Amino acid sequence: MMPNELASYFKDSLCICDLKATSKVDALSEMVDAICTSRAIKDKGIILEMLLNRESLGSTAIAPGVAFPHGRSLAVPDLTIVFARSESGVEFDAVDKKSTHVFFLIIAPPQDRDNLYLQVLGQIVNLVRDDAARKAFARVATYEELQQLIGSQSE
Amino acid sequence: MSTPNQTEDQPRLLVALQDLDQMIREVEDKETSAELEAMGFSLDGVEKIREAREKICSRIKPQLLNRYQRVARNLDRTVVPVVNELCTGCFAKVPTSFRYEKGAVLTCENCGRMLYFT
Repeated sequence: MMPNELASYFKDSLCICDLKATSKVDALSEMVDAICTSRAIKDKGIILEMLLNRESLGSTAIAPGVAFPHGRSLAVPDLTIVFARSESGVEFDAVDKKSTHVFFLIIAPPQDRDNLYLQVLGQIVNLVRDDAARKAFARVATYEELQQLIGSQSE
Repeated sequence: MSTPNQTEDQPRLLVALQDLDQMIREVEDKETSAELEAMGFSLDGVEKIREAREKICSRIKPQLLNRYQRVARNLDRTVVPVVNELCTGCFAKVPTSFRYEKGAVLTCENCGRMLYFT
């Protein structure tokens, strides 16, 4: 996958710039709600359960202020990414014990083209490697800003 | 240990079981786990995933669980939905006698996968 392809996986309907939740379960639930509405998926529970199980493997809040909940589920037809930003922060069992403000939620079906899921996850983790980038994502207020930022970070 | 509840949605449980099995396979796959750990993810809690798997297994009817385990030996995707009258595992057309029935788990006559309707 080319670095400049990454932005095409982010959709307006899956960009939440004012996440309301303050707990891990509620934050995941709010993001999965967006997926179910956007992709007409009936069974929210399957996706939510998979993500919570993945969190029990080890917290995905591995960068300061940023979490990458991810996993594979038959419930989604293709690679799906939610971007979410919380002004007040979410208690997400972060490695550094601090609140999480930025979320990149990535779900892929069990089998996908060229293991795209891991490539996308790796590129997203790299997007926020430096402090300036993390701060910029924490300020994103619109989908257009998100697209611009991903574009500039992927160059 | 719980016992299968006759009213519980069996296809849903089978899909959840398959998702967990996929997660365990990824952790056990050296290449994938090395890639995830290089990104910074910890995969230490695999025992918790195995416990969650056991709990789900206890809620699945034994005959369906046996079928799942048998098919899973040969096929990665064991349970797949029927979409547009096709098995989404092998894309063979399902017989017209296969009609939507909530909670039903059928078998693809072509590939043997377990089928359910969404």
